[in-house]
Amino acid sequence: MKRSQVVAVMLVLLLSGALAFAGGKQEPQTAGGQKVVLRYTSLRTEDVERENRINAEFTKKYPGIQIKFEPIKNSEYDTALKTSLETGVGADIVILRSYDGGRQIYDAGYIYELGDLVPNIQSDFTANSVATWATEDGTIYGVPYFGSITGIWYNQEVFDQYSLKEPATWDEFIALCRSLKQNGETVLAHGTNEQWVLTETLLCTVGPNFYGGEKTRQALINGEIKYTDPRFVKAYNKIKELVEFFPPNYQAIDYVTMQQMFMNGQAAMWIAGSWELGVIRDAGLEVGWFGPPVEKKGDRMQYAFYADLGLGLNKATKHKDEAVQFLRWVASPQHASLLANELPGMFPPMKVKFEISDPVALEIVQIAQRADVDTTGQLMWEKLSRQEPSGETLQLEAVQKFLNGTWSAQQAVEYVQKGLDTWYYE
Amino acid sequence: MRQRKIRLFLIAYLLPALTIYTVFMILPILQSMRYSLYTGTGIRPDQFVGFGNYVKLFTQFPFRLRFFNVLKNNVLFFIMVSVSQNVFGFVLAVLLTRRFKGRRFFRSLFFVPTALSVIVVGFVFKLILNPVWGVFDRMLRSLGLEALIRPWLGDPALALPILSLVTAWHFVGIPIIFFTAGIDGISDDIIEAGRIDGVSVWGEVRHILLPMLKPIIGIVTILTFVGNFSEFEIVYSMETVYGNPEYATDVFGSFFYRTAFGTVMNNVNDVGLGAALASIMFLIIFVGVLFFLRITRRET
Repeated sequence: MKRSQVVAVMLVLLLSGALAFAGGKQEPQTAGGQKVVLRYTSLRTEDVERENRINAEFTKKYPGIQIKFEPIKNSEYDTALKTSLETGVGADIVILRSYDGGRQIYDAGYIYELGDLVPNIQSDFTANSVATWATEDGTIYGVPYFGSITGIWYNQEVFDQYSLKEPATWDEFIALCRSLKQNGETVLAHGTNEQWVLTETLLCTVGPNFYGGEKTRQALINGEIKYTDPRFVKAYNKIKELVEFFPPNYQAIDYVTMQQMFMNGQAAMWIAGSWELGVIRDAGLEVGWFGPPVEKKGDRMQYAFYADLGLGLNKATKHKDEAVQFLRWVASPQHASLLANELPGMFPPMKVKFEISDPVALEIVQIAQRADVDTTGQLMWEKLSRQEPSGETLQLEAVQKFLNGTWSAQQAVEYVQKGLDTWYYE
Repeated sequence: MRQRKIRLFLIAYLLPALTIYTVFMILPILQSMRYSLYTGTGIRPDQFVGFGNYVKLFTQFPFRLRFFNVLKNNVLFFIMVSVSQNVFGFVLAVLLTRRFKGRRFFRSLFFVPTALSVIVVGFVFKLILNPVWGVFDRMLRSLGLEALIRPWLGDPALALPILSLVTAWHFVGIPIIFFTAGIDGISDDIIEAGRIDGVSVWGEVRHILLPMLKPIIGIVTILTFVGNFSEFEIVYSMETVYGNPEYATDVFGSFFYRTAFGTVMNNVNDVGLGAALASIMFLIIFVGVLFFLRITRRET
């Protein structure tokens, strides 16, 4: 009995010791050799095939370099990115969110400054988009990748069926919605269950025409006006007018349901982003698009066209030269064309001309180039969301509670202002 | 001599598990408590703020709104799950310990949902309750109960109860297993004695089962309590990490996730604040467990 007990104890100790080292060693990075593989992480899991086609073009031009596209689910991306950069296992090329989202990554020291490495950023991209990934003193840390436009999709078949015209003013738009509803159609594929939709594709899409668009946004950032300004209350009340055209039980409809409803032809219109065009094309739906309706005829349209995502270069990369080559290629018109055509609805914010083959995508971007249109961005993304309680979080809650009828417009804007008062308006 | 050998033997067996447990569980908890005294946006918070994070959570706008909201939601969630999962589980356990054909089959059947992953359960129920094409509404319509249809996951008053019912359905197997084991463990003599005295089923439950199963009720309650207060996945899969709608399903887990790691729309994160929240969670759960242990202690 004695010896077997000792053996048993030793076995237990041995096994537990083995467990401690059972983690396994990390695979060493194989540098050198034929192919350099650059890891490229993103939050667009829906683009895997398209990105691979785009990046294959790069490999054709530079045969020694292969791009491995590794997207992570949108809602996990920020956490995964920060963790991977902190622990040194981040990808070589990383997608950066706009403004403070990307700024955080730069401030933490994870990415290179790109002013010298990719010299044509300043000259070839729109000023707004360059500023989205640059510090106040002009240090650029991200290549603007693509911009999004938000507006109103409509089902071409439904419009043809009722011989409807694209509305230019708000009253025309409401009248159109009313007539569709009377004919028994589901007018808008909308719900209030998911918060970000309410600000990004509702308030800051049709709202800007009522709160004063880009000028007001700048005034808010500069502290000239407060969020409790009557302009915002007006915009809130305007979007409330659309709630009667939402499907029944809209409070439980989330983003994916909205998307699927429109894709399946179950709703006539959908106020959403240009980025949906890829999914729409895959679903084979015939669609049209119009910009947000203005208040009265002759008003300038405030069109939300904002740089959404940029690319950064991980300081911990082991293939700096190859990664720089890739980024330079991304900042070229050749890539811009590829992107615009492979990912219809995403628009590289380049000043340089590039080809767009999809007619609807062309239509979307041409609205931005009209003389009576100003482009604007999301209200809270620049500077106002730098700290908690961020303007965006406050706004998300306010719009949701307002549209659900829990709060009045006044209560909603006061809540946001109160939150911002705790840190922004010192 | 024999005592010493047994003691060494025991230590040798306990030491590996104790070491691993300390390194991977105790130390991180202590480290987390240390982080709660700091703030910062990196993975490791670096600015010392003392108890500032705790003060923030309890007093500052809008953090205190979120904090007391999640506290309230967690308490409500726990109560609702306790009733629907444990009380109902107890009833089922009593039924499953009566003698009838197929008894063993039903015992296994009730445990099948527990084998499913929480995310899967959440997503499936979310689809079932979908207002546009979910089968639940369709079923109500076919039964002529259209008037009862609501935006299930969109109504702030209904969302949390629904989440508790889903959780209860998912985990009802656990109290059933515990209680059936406990009831089976009660010596037959006592049951026989009760029968001879002419006790009814309800009487049997009240006078024999409940008192004898008190420690097991305690364990089940504690497990439910710990699980509910650290709940995250069901909220994540059914209502996003924001605790939609209108923060009605926001619980400690989701609030912690948003605070410590940031979210899609708002990448500002504060690991220190999250750690403070986690420490508070730990304290609440710890106190709660002690409380339940005390009141369900078997009087010997």
